[in-house]
Amino acid sequence: MTFADDLRRDALAIRKTFLGMHYRAKAGHIGTGLSAIDILAFLHKSWLTKEDAFILSKGHGASSLYATLHHFGVLSDEVLATYYKDDTLLPAHPAAGAFAAIPAATGSLGHGLPIAAGMAYARKYLDRTSQRVAALLSDGECNEGSVWEAAAFAAHHHLANLLVIIDANGLQGFGKTTDVLDMEPMADKWKSFGFDTREIDGHDFDQIREACSDLDATRPRCVIARTVKGNGVRFMEGKLEWHYLPMSEAQFNEALADLEGKP
Amino acid sequence: MRIEFVKAVHALMEKDPKSLFLTGDLGYNALEKVAQAFGPRFLNVGVAEQNMMGVAAGLAMTGARPWAYSIAPFATYRCLEQIRNDICLHDLPVRVVGNGGGYTYGIMGSTHHALEDLAVLKPLPNMSLFFPCSNNHVAAAVALMGELAGPSYLRLAISGFQSDTAPLAENPVTLTRRYGTRSRKQARGLSIVCAGHAAQIAVAALALDPAIDADVFGFARYPFDLASDADVMASIADTRRVLFIEEHYASGGIGESFAAEIAGKVDAFVRMNAVYRKDQRYGSAAFHLAQTGMTPTTVLATAREMLA
Repeated sequence: MTFADDLRRDALAIRKTFLGMHYRAKAGHIGTGLSAIDILAFLHKSWLTKEDAFILSKGHGASSLYATLHHFGVLSDEVLATYYKDDTLLPAHPAAGAFAAIPAATGSLGHGLPIAAGMAYARKYLDRTSQRVAALLSDGECNEGSVWEAAAFAAHHHLANLLVIIDANGLQGFGKTTDVLDMEPMADKWKSFGFDTREIDGHDFDQIREACSDLDATRPRCVIARTVKGNGVRFMEGKLEWHYLPMSEAQFNEALADLEGKP
Repeated sequence: MRIEFVKAVHALMEKDPKSLFLTGDLGYNALEKVAQAFGPRFLNVGVAEQNMMGVAAGLAMTGARPWAYSIAPFATYRCLEQIRNDICLHDLPVRVVGNGGGYTYGIMGSTHHALEDLAVLKPLPNMSLFFPCSNNHVAAAVALMGELAGPSYLRLAISGFQSDTAPLAENPVTLTRRYGTRSRKQARGLSIVCAGHAAQIAVAALALDPAIDADVFGFARYPFDLASDADVMASIADTRRVLFIEEHYASGGIGESFAAEIAGKVDAFVRMNAVYRKDQRYGSAAFHLAQTGMTPTTVLATAREMLA
């Protein structure tokens, strides 16, 4: 089995778990999770070591991270089963201090990159370790000024141990990113801030691996991952409403069948 | 207080290798020695307070203990959400330092005054606030903040009625100071309680009438620990009336919280606070205090009125 086939199998399993979680919880934020799962699967299977840190800056994708951590054995069945329920440590946006694998409570956009940059600075200049930090942002999140404050900081301090991935699914809260507040050309912006920037198909595992490998010696890396909101479920793909809607039983079954490639 | 702060934090950083200093591009003529002494442990993050607090949180998540310094309004309001989410929710040892509490920056204008800084930070989870009464109070606050495992805020200020009088007593835990003791000419007398550098106005009022029948205290830490401040509570039990002074708006101020704590224990609680004015004129800190009605003379007059 090739590297990509292997990860595709992981991502499929994660998507199934993810959809089950959302169906049972009657919870939204499905589209945003589906656009991120391939990236999350890659990071947790192939990129992050035990010492590295990952910050989910797009906190509304928390459930896709929960499903990914569950798939790789970090969260148990019992813990995952509490998702979205009363008395859970798995709310719709990550909780503070609940799991070592989720260092930061995010959900308000524009917070994760400054935190990741602080961690990367400490690792590079204070602790002098080779540990790395990855942060996953959404494209809509790049509207936030604090993202660019942190981008300038990371480049200025040559945080070459920092990997920023933009889950660029092209849709944000109330419309297309190009209609709401056009941040394109996104790659040029990160490049001009001093990042070693790549632009890829965010659902192509070979491209993801290539773009996240061999970090530059002096510059932080930014990967603009062009993704599809709702990826893997055709009736959700590219549809704004799947940022918000929960699934009916019929929709859930259709979504599962679609993932399996059944007509 | 800035000189005392820099001196104290410099000494602390020499002892604590996990501590580091972040500034939002401020510190000219004050932080140069810290910048030179600590290499990568001194970090000018630029004019970017949101990022400064997020970075401070990230640093603290790796085990570092950062100080994050700016002018008080910039260190608090601009980055309030970063302080709340990134620092307080994670209970991280980030020490936010705001220089210029109250009207310190006087003629610099309203944008530079900090009259709601304590109000916005006070309710945040895990947060401890420190507001020294005068220059000789700063080192003790820095030392206590250095020991905290969670977040804290230090409010540095220069009073329009500057004094650096040594207190009669200082509680080592709460840092609460006693500046004056009742002459006991009356059975009841008055408890004058100040928050932070407003105590310097009360000390100046006391100088105008040393025989006034009032206990004078200066709070310097929130949340309160009133069980430890037995001295203050004993005074209030005797006098049952409080004059509370702070260089901060009344709403959300330390006085409001103190009033809530001692409601039922007092018959009178009078507050002297900064007051917002629509047709504000600008001047020195002393000018603003006079405009808002907080001077040694007005404090004395109010105290006498309460005693009459």
